[in-house]
Amino acid sequence: MTNSPSNSPILAENLTRHFGEVKAVDGIDMQVNAGEIFGFLGPNGAGKSTAVRMLTTLLRPTAGRAIVAGFDVATHPDEVRRRIGVALQDAAIDPLMTGSELLQLQAVLYGIPSSQTKSRTAELLERVGLTAAGDRRVGTYSGGMRRRLDLALSLIHQPTVLFLDEPTTGLDPMSRLTLWEEVRRLNREGTTVLLTTQYLEEADQLADRIAIIDKGKIVREGKPQDLKAEVGFPTLIVNVQKDHQDAARSVLLQFGELRPTAEGTLGVGLRDGAQVVTDVVRKLDEAHVHLIHLEINEPSLDDVFADATGHRLEGDKS
Amino acid sequence: MSTMRSAGQISLRNLRAIPRLPSAFFPALLMPIFTMIAFSGTFYAVTKIPGFPTDRSINWYMPIGVLFGSSFSGIGIGFTTIRDIETGFYDRLRMSPAPRNALIIGPLFTAWMRTVILNLIVVPIGVALGVRFEGGILAVLSLLAASLGMSTLSLGWGLGLAYRFRDMRAAAIMQLSIFIGLYLTSAQMPLEFIDGWLHHVATYNPITYILYLARQGLVLDGTSHDMSWSNTWPGLLAIVVLSGLALAFARRGLDKLDK
Amino acid sequence: MSTVLQPVAASRSFGLSLRQTRAMAWRSTKETFRQPALVGPSMIFPIFFAALGASSFSRATSLPGFPKVESFLQFSLAATVVQGVLFGSVTGAAALATDIQNGFFDRLLLAPTSRTGILIGRLAGSAIFGAVQAAAFIAVLWPFGATIKSSFGGALVMVLSGGIVALAIGSLMSAVAIKTASAEAVQGTFPLLFILLFFSSAFFPRETMSGLYRNIADVNPISYLVEGMRELVLVGFSTSAMAKAIFIPTAICVVAILIALRQLRVRLASR
Repeated sequence: MTNSPSNSPILAENLTRHFGEVKAVDGIDMQVNAGEIFGFLGPNGAGKSTAVRMLTTLLRPTAGRAIVAGFDVATHPDEVRRRIGVALQDAAIDPLMTGSELLQLQAVLYGIPSSQTKSRTAELLERVGLTAAGDRRVGTYSGGMRRRLDLALSLIHQPTVLFLDEPTTGLDPMSRLTLWEEVRRLNREGTTVLLTTQYLEEADQLADRIAIIDKGKIVREGKPQDLKAEVGFPTLIVNVQKDHQDAARSVLLQFGELRPTAEGTLGVGLRDGAQVVTDVVRKLDEAHVHLIHLEINEPSLDDVFADATGHRLEGDKS
Repeated sequence: MSTMRSAGQISLRNLRAIPRLPSAFFPALLMPIFTMIAFSGTFYAVTKIPGFPTDRSINWYMPIGVLFGSSFSGIGIGFTTIRDIETGFYDRLRMSPAPRNALIIGPLFTAWMRTVILNLIVVPIGVALGVRFEGGILAVLSLLAASLGMSTLSLGWGLGLAYRFRDMRAAAIMQLSIFIGLYLTSAQMPLEFIDGWLHHVATYNPITYILYLARQGLVLDGTSHDMSWSNTWPGLLAIVVLSGLALAFARRGLDKLDK
Repeated sequence: MSTVLQPVAASRSFGLSLRQTRAMAWRSTKETFRQPALVGPSMIFPIFFAALGASSFSRATSLPGFPKVESFLQFSLAATVVQGVLFGSVTGAAALATDIQNGFFDRLLLAPTSRTGILIGRLAGSAIFGAVQAAAFIAVLWPFGATIKSSFGGALVMVLSGGIVALAIGSLMSAVAIKTASAEAVQGTFPLLFILLFFSSAFFPRETMSGLYRNIADVNPISYLVEGMRELVLVGFSTSAMAKAIFIPTAICVVAILIALRQLRVRLASR
């Protein structure tokens, strides 16, 4: 892996996009290394998709610049398009066409010679496990099949950089695992991948490095394990009766800083590690706090997220 | 709650939708005006064919326009019902203890109200453009009766289809069937002038006789403009029979909705 | 991957652009015929009206001002073709708006193809559909008495004219589709087409009309289009028939395509 900016597949400097008054992407700097899986993690509306649309030439930056696959997205969009593959959010696929017809259309649009179109189509259908469904209309596909076809479409011209915008949103767990496996395989073959996700587990499992994006800004960036280590302490989450909450809070504060948790629960980052749990329970008992439930969590990306933004990603969805 | 009181409430809700969502009512209003103007303008010369029962083409074409509008007032409520079924609002109505008939009679009141409003707008425009009610006030009432009849049978048909299909397919069938039903009559030309297949179809199509009811007093019957019982009873009978069938179709659909 | 491809050639030859445009045209044609619920009405209604008129207006053909015809159906043929093509051309444009709405258009824009090719391909699809419609109407009505005086040559001109008109109206509708990105907005223009058609000489000769209605029909371009085709059916080949059915529509078509392309440029520039 090389780290010099000149040959990184994706490089953004102060990349900005405003929609009227709304700063959808508010000056992000990032660099993705060749052969890496890079994850954009953030809630809905954080600016992930807007950033991806700029990096893939679909949207013009208001300010700043981005170099993708060696070319500036604003000045050489065609060169960029020729080298990148993109699977868009919601797998925008025409439901009236069959899978293989779409692949053939895509092949023509990317200038694949006619002699190779058929074989390339067959090869990609097989790769994503859709050979049997290739002649069926996309309207009859399941969500997982559509995503896999979407992925195949984005691979038609063997791109060196692949963008996946929320590739597994709305998929069942099995389909999600299949897609992850395919992304890993592509990455092993040398494709650099940038994926956006609102799933902590996806970022944790798949990405070599992640950037946490919130309100248009990158608030943390690094390897998942490093980020988690920075947050450090495990989180103790307690559930107490409503009228005992204030008493519980003052007890917990003796052991570390409070952390944002789901509504109705209290969380504290244990300064001295998990071994002090018995002390916490004793102190709560002495304060006559009635304990309903207690759990201890090793630091997760959600803790990183909460630490960086002051709110939780998982709680947002419910 | 009594059937009538519940029906009144349901009707009120539908009527409120007119000022709140005028775009849904406009087509039913503009269509008869357009039909009246476009037909009488395009086919202006047909009145010169020897034996044509009026020398004013707008006298001939206004009633068909009004009947189109009245039908769309009826099936327009069918469209709303499909939307209510799709959004789940209709379940709320069905869960209420209101008598089942109220769910049909309420919309029927609305369809009638809309039809009256439509007549109040379209007929004066027609008169301004040259329509003459030669048969006097009875001619106006005859047109109104035909118009209310069309809206009743369209409402029953529209609700029945909405209950059975529960999606927008029903809307397409409603529009298409009303369209075809009204065109396969003496809509464009007098029955005596029509040749071939259409002559047979129109003779047996009961809507042809509703059209006679609507037109009498506007066009000549033989040599007079007078109202005649022979132009009235077939139309009224067609209205009673078709409306009865359509409303029964709606009621059966409503009963099957929970199956 | 099992085989390794040569890197995609960076050339953007004319041949490639043509291939891409053709692929888009093919896609849009196939797509149209796969939606019977959309295609059906634009095929069936014009024929229904033709059959209705043939039965209703047989006595009207002897009216003063009516051209010499064998049957009212023969008189109606040109109107049937124009009516079908006008309504059919809404379908393609609505599909374009749907592409923009659901994001498929973005996928097309991500490809290193010419933007113009994507749109022209789509429009070519509309033209093909228009020509197919015209051919179908002629084939259905000819055996029932809608004889074409200019014979197969005239029929061919009518088919060509159908394609050109579909292209012209399709381009204008596509401009609406690109500007609004809403299939509803495109379908909302439908009543306008209806009005345009009715306030013309499509269904009855202009010579029999009077007053304001006649004046409107006199300035309505649809009148001339239908009259051009009608001349081919009732009389035979003539310069005026060709001008009305082919040359003037072609000129309108060129302007309409330019409007659509301009709208596309505006959309791409405002990203």
